[in-house]
Amino acid sequence: MGSKSPQHNSTNGKTMKTTILSMILVATATFGAIAPAYAHDADCPFCKTKLVQNTETQDNEVVVKFGNKKIEYRCVYCVFADQKKFSGDLIVYAPSETAGKPIILKRTAGKWSAPDGTVFLNTFKRHKDCAEQSRTFTSKVQLEKYAKANSISNAKSLTLDEMLKEVAKK
Amino acid sequence: MKHYSQSLAVTIAIFALYGTAFSQTDHGMHQGMKGMDGKNTGLPTPPEQFPKWMSNKTSDHLFYKPAPYNWSIRNIPAFAADMYGTGVGHGIAYEAMVTGKADRMEDSIHRSIVGVLMNPPHLPIDEGAILPTFKRKYGSLEKVFDWAHLLHFQTIDVLSHKGWSDEQKDAEIEVLWQRYASQPYAITGLPMNMEVLDSYSYSTTFRTKYPKVNALFWGYHWLQTANYDMLYRTPTNTHIPQYQVMGDRYRNVELFNTDREFMPMTGEMSPRFSKRFPYIANSFDNLHMLHDNIGDILATDTLSEAQKKEQIDIAIWRVLGSTHRGEEPGKGEPGTLHDHRYPMGMPGMGWMKGSTDEDMYMSGMGWMNMSECGHCSIALPDGDQWGATVSADGWTMMVRCMLCARDMAGETIGRAVIRAATEDPNQTLVMISDEEGNWTSNIPGIVFLEVKGDHPECNDWSRVFTSKVAFDNFVRSDDYYKDAKPLTLAEWQTRGEGTPETYRRIDRPSPYKKKGDDGGKN
Repeated sequence: MGSKSPQHNSTNGKTMKTTILSMILVATATFGAIAPAYAHDADCPFCKTKLVQNTETQDNEVVVKFGNKKIEYRCVYCVFADQKKFSGDLIVYAPSETAGKPIILKRTAGKWSAPDGTVFLNTFKRHKDCAEQSRTFTSKVQLEKYAKANSISNAKSLTLDEMLKEVAKK
Repeated sequence: MKHYSQSLAVTIAIFALYGTAFSQTDHGMHQGMKGMDGKNTGLPTPPEQFPKWMSNKTSDHLFYKPAPYNWSIRNIPAFAADMYGTGVGHGIAYEAMVTGKADRMEDSIHRSIVGVLMNPPHLPIDEGAILPTFKRKYGSLEKVFDWAHLLHFQTIDVLSHKGWSDEQKDAEIEVLWQRYASQPYAITGLPMNMEVLDSYSYSTTFRTKYPKVNALFWGYHWLQTANYDMLYRTPTNTHIPQYQVMGDRYRNVELFNTDREFMPMTGEMSPRFSKRFPYIANSFDNLHMLHDNIGDILATDTLSEAQKKEQIDIAIWRVLGSTHRGEEPGKGEPGTLHDHRYPMGMPGMGWMKGSTDEDMYMSGMGWMNMSECGHCSIALPDGDQWGATVSADGWTMMVRCMLCARDMAGETIGRAVIRAATEDPNQTLVMISDEEGNWTSNIPGIVFLEVKGDHPECNDWSRVFTSKVAFDNFVRSDDYYKDAKPLTLAEWQTRGEGTPETYRRIDRPSPYKKKGDDGGKN
C-alpha cells in the first residue's frame, strides 16, 4: 500500500492502521454503548440550526437510525417534530447525562418507546437553545441536577407521552 | 480650518485622479462608493466602446452543430421535458417586467411559470415566442443567451448519446467549446469573481422583491448545473434511474427553495465535470449570473428605461469572452472585473463571497475546501482512482473512497446516488439508494474491499471491484491485503464508521448571513 501512497511509508502506515484499529477495539470494549458521532458541517434537518458536537464530558448529538442511514439532529424535540419524514421504524440515540451512554428511544410500527425511568427536559423557546434545553435523562433526579448546573429555570420533567404531546402542540 | 481645507482639496484631487485611472482600466465595475450593505452605490459605467455586433439589429441566428448525437437528451425523456421547461421561466418574467406586469410576479406570473415547469413541453420552446417585446428591446442579450443555451443542450446531447466512448465524448465537448468560444456572443470561460458581479447598486433586487420566482430560477439553474455529473462518464443506461432521483428532488424541493443564499454553481453541483471542463462550467456560471443581473436591473424601479438598456449592455459586455481576451484563469486583480481566481482545487468556479485561499462556502453545506474529500478532509486523488461523487439532499460532493461515499450518503436524509471509480477505468459504478440507504448497483456482482486503516490512504483500503476475480487479483498484488475478505453489496451497505478522525470542521458563519438573521425559526 505504501508504494501507492507516496506521502506515507508503507510499514509506518500499516503500523498506524494496526494501532488505530486496536484503539477502536479497546474503545468499543470499554464503552460498549454505541456513541455515533457525525461531525459534518451541517445544519439540523428540522430547525436548520448548527448541530452541536459531543464534548468529552457531554454528548449533544442526537442520532436517528433509519435503515442503513444515521441522521443527526440538534435535539430530541427536533427528532419528534421531524419524524414524519421517515416511514419505517426508527432508533434514536439521544444524549443522556453521561457522555458515551445515549438513551435509546425506538419507534416501532409507529409507536414510541423509551427505557423505564426516561424523562425529558423541553423548556426552550427558540431553537438557538434547543440543544441545551431539549434533552433526555435516565431519571428525574438527573434532569434536575442538569437543570441546576445549567441554570435552567422552570425545568419540568416530562414522560415520553408528555413530551410527544408537547411536540404535537407546536 | 485652512489646514483642513487644504487636506480636503488634496484628498479630492487624489480621489479624482484615482477615479480617472480606475474608469480607464476597469469600466463597468466599481463606480461609486460601497454602501453599508457592501454594494456599490453608483451605477457601473459603460466601456469606451461596446463590441459592434451589440448594435446590430439582424438576428444573427446560430444553430446546432450538425452531429449524430443531437437531441440525445431525449434518451432521458423526463429530463428532456424538464430542461425544455426551463427555457420558459425567465422569458415569462422578463416579458412581464418590460410590459408593466411586474406587480403580478409573485402570484399569477409565478403560477404560470410553475404550471409550465410542472407540465413541461415535450419539445424545445423558441424563447422569442414568449418574450417578443423583450427581444425587440434587448436583442443582443438574446443572442448571448441563445448561444450559451445551445452549448448547454449540445453538451448534454453528447453526454446522453449512446454508443460513443467516454474519450470520444470528451473530445467532442472540446470541439463544441471551441465552436462556441469562436463566436462574438460567447461568454468567457474564465472564472469570475461572483461577489463582484453581485455587488452593484441594483444587485439582489429581483430575489428580494420576488423570492418565489427567484427560487424557481435558481431551482432550474440547479437542474441545469447538477445534471452534468449525472451524465459525465456514467453509463447511459444509468441516466434514467439517476434522473428519477434528481427529477424528484428538482420538482419537489429545489424549485421551491427560497432559503438558498446564492445561485447554484456548476462546480458545486457537478464537481467532476467542472474539473474536467472548467471553462464550460465557468461560462455557465457567468451566464447564470448574467441572468441574475438582468433580473435585478429590470426589477429596479429607480432606473429609467435608458439606464436599464445601458446597464443591460454593460452586464452583457462584462461577461463576454472578448472583454477578457488574453487573460488567464487563476490570475487578475482581486476584487475586480478581471479577478479570475478560483477556489483551491476547483478551476471550474469563480471566486465566491467570503472565500479564502483554501476555503469556500457552499449554501446548504457550509464551509469546505474543494480540493479535499467532503467526508474525511484528506486531499482528493487524481487519475483513474479518482474516488467517487455523492449526490444527496441536493448537493454533490467528491470523496476519496467507497467508505467515505457510503458514510456521507448514510448521514443524509433521502435517496442518494454514488458514482465511483472501479479497477476498470472504463467502468464507472453508479449506485442508487432508497430512503433507508439500501443500495442498488448498475454492475451486478460488485465486491468491496474495506480494511479500515488511516484515512490518508482510504482510497487504497476502501475500494470497489467489478467482480470477485478483479478483487482477487488486487489482493494478490499486495501482501497487506492477503487476508482481506470481499464484501458483497448487502454486507457493505450495513456498515458505518461515523466521523473520520481526520475530518476538519470549518466553523465560520455564512458570509451571506446578515446581522440578526437567524433563519426565521429561531
